[in-house]
Parts: sequence; C-alpha cells; structure tokens
Amino acid sequence: MRTDDLIADLSSRLEPSRPSALTQVLALAVLAGFVGSTILMLSVLGLRHDFTRAIVSFGMWTKLVYTFAIAVFAFWLVERAGRPGADTAQPARILVLPIFAIALLAAAQLLAPGADVRHLILGYSSRVCAFLVTFTSLPTMAATFWGLRRMAPTRLTLAGLGAGLFAGATGAFVYSFHCTESSAPFIGIWYSLGILLSAAIGGFLGPRLLRW
Amino acid sequence: MIAQEAQYRNWMVAALMGDASAYRMLLGGLTRHLRSYYARRLDPAAAEDAVQETLIAIHTRRASYDPALPFTAWVYGIARYKLIDEYRRHKRRATVPLDEAGDLFGHDEAQEAIARRDVVKLLEKLPPAKRQLVKDIKLDGVSVAEAAKRTGMSESAVKVTVHRALKSLGEDLRAKDMSDGEGRNADR
Repeated sequence: MRTDDLIADLSSRLEPSRPSALTQVLALAVLAGFVGSTILMLSVLGLRHDFTRAIVSFGMWTKLVYTFAIAVFAFWLVERAGRPGADTAQPARILVLPIFAIALLAAAQLLAPGADVRHLILGYSSRVCAFLVTFTSLPTMAATFWGLRRMAPTRLTLAGLGAGLFAGATGAFVYSFHCTESSAPFIGIWYSLGILLSAAIGGFLGPRLLRW
Repeated sequence: MIAQEAQYRNWMVAALMGDASAYRMLLGGLTRHLRSYYARRLDPAAAEDAVQETLIAIHTRRASYDPALPFTAWVYGIARYKLIDEYRRHKRRATVPLDEAGDLFGHDEAQEAIARRDVVKLLEKLPPAKRQLVKDIKLDGVSVAEAAKRTGMSESAVKVTVHRALKSLGEDLRAKDMSDGEGRNADR
C-alpha cells in the first residue's frame, strides 16, 4: 500500500478517544489485581488470628504505609512507562523515599537500648516471608501486565520492572493482613526482598509479554 | 523545544477529539520526518515499511498520548521502538543509541529533496523501464508485489532487476569518483 493511501485510510477511520481512558483501564486492572491478591491471601494463607487487635498497632501501620507508598509510586512509574516519551526518572527517583524511611525506622529500633537484634531481624517467618509476598503478588502482576499491554510501553524491561514492583508492593500490602511480624528491620528486609523478587520477575517478563 | 511541537500538538489534540483533517495533516507532516529518520538507518524498502508501521502504531496507540506531555517526544518514542523492532527482526544490533527527539524532527524530506534531485539525475542513466522500477520501489515506496503487478514481471524478477540496476549505478559512481580522484592527483 502506498503511504499516502495509508494516511487517507487511517484518517477516514479516526474515532475520538479520551487520553484519560487508558489511565482508567490501568486503574481498573490494578483494582482487579488487588482483589485477586486479597482473595488469594484470604483463601490460601488466611487473615491473621489477632486481626482486630493488630489493626491498631504501630507494626501493622508500618507495613501498610511502607508498602502502600511503594505501590503508589510504582503505579505512577507504570502509568508513565506505558506512554512513549514520558519521563520515568521522576517516579523512579521518588521510590527511595519509602525505602529511606523504613531504613531510618529500622535503625532506630535496632539501636534502641535492650533491642533483641536477632529477633527484630529474623522474627518468626523470615524464611517464608519474601516468597509469600511474591506469591500474593501474582494476581496483581497478571492484571498489571494486562493493563500495560493496552498502553504503548516502549522500554519493555523498565515497564515490566515497574509492573513487578507495583505487584510486589500490592502483594506485600495484602500479605500484611496475614503476617504477624511487626518490626521495622523485618519489614525493611523481608518485605522488600519479596517486592524485589516480584520486580525481577516483572523485568524478566516485560520484553516477553509486552511487545506490540 | 522542537520547532514543530506546538503545531503538531495542536493537530494531535484536535485529532483525538475526532478532527480527521487535522489528523491527515499531522500524519502527512510526520511521514516526512519518519521517512528521513528511517532512510538514514534502514535500507530503502525496510525504511518505507517502517514508516507505515509507525503510522499504524501512532494510529492504534493514539490514546497513549497524554496532552500534558510533549508530542514530539511521544512520536519519537514510538519511532525509536519501531526501529529497534526492525533491527531485532533482522537480527541486527539490538540496541539503538539514545539520541533525542530532535534527531527525528531535525530532518525532513525538504532537505533531502536536493539529494533526491541528484538521484533522479543519476537514474537517467538507466534504460526507461528499469528507471521507472527503481524510482517506484526505492524512491516512491511502492511495494515489490505492486510493482510486479504493474509491470507484469514476477516479484523475484523485479527484485533482481532493481538490484542489478542499483549495482550498475554504484559501479558508475565509483568509477566516476576514482577518475575524479586521479584527476586531482594529476593536478598536484
């Protein structure tokens, strides 16, 4: 086909489209992913037995705020990565904020007088925590990739990393409702590791699943 | 800031609201930059394919343009992605230097019209039938299949004819360069 004919053809098939439509699609996808991760956590792992007491504890809120902050910034990163030519450095840079905050809090708890360093770091579940976070993130991972595929990612590894990071943080947020750990060093190490593992999976899958 | 940014962005915003004539002007304008961009990086047939693929990508993914962001950067992101795709398909190098949108919009066909005039002059050395074929395929972006249909030749015959014609022109040019070179040496 001649290029001029192609242009005429494309122009004749133009329909109006709203730029915010794609953000809505992505938001819907991650909402579905969040619901999926929650169902997975509730059905396989179960809500923590002392939930009503825990929900008002400092440890619980450390987990929720930390993972929620990463999820919000990672969502921003994914939304940018899905649009050609958009700046992704800004959302990527701001991700150090929650990491810095948890590191500071962890240091404070470790350095407090009489701190049981070993227990603060290892808790009861350090062996499984990271893997369960990644496991919980899988439905969100699938949904985020589905949403990204409808956008136009041009840097596929970066887009996949963002999707994995977002899924990992969402998975960790949901996993918080099962896990009984509450120390900042534990969260800073094992939750972050689970999120990183999820991000690595996303980065690996990006170039394979996001091509268009 | 890239000179065409405001104009193209306005057309794009209008196009997103359904203005087909703005859209047609936009695509026409972009085609000139895209042709030049790919012509400097791919062989001519692949370049025209890449132009068309990019236009289709711009069309199908147009909702991914956020009017709050620079439009030229958006187009450049897609053009670069399609270039990498093309390289990958031919198992050529898989990385493209991260040049900037200015590289896409700094060139268009107008500058190349001069070069094109030289090429047309060069083509006059070919017999008319061959000249038409080379012009159609290499300059005007007609597909091999279409050219074959027009001339009644088979597709492979078209390819061979074009290839030979270009080779003979290339030899002509080299011979000319060499004799020029010798001439200069003799002057010294």
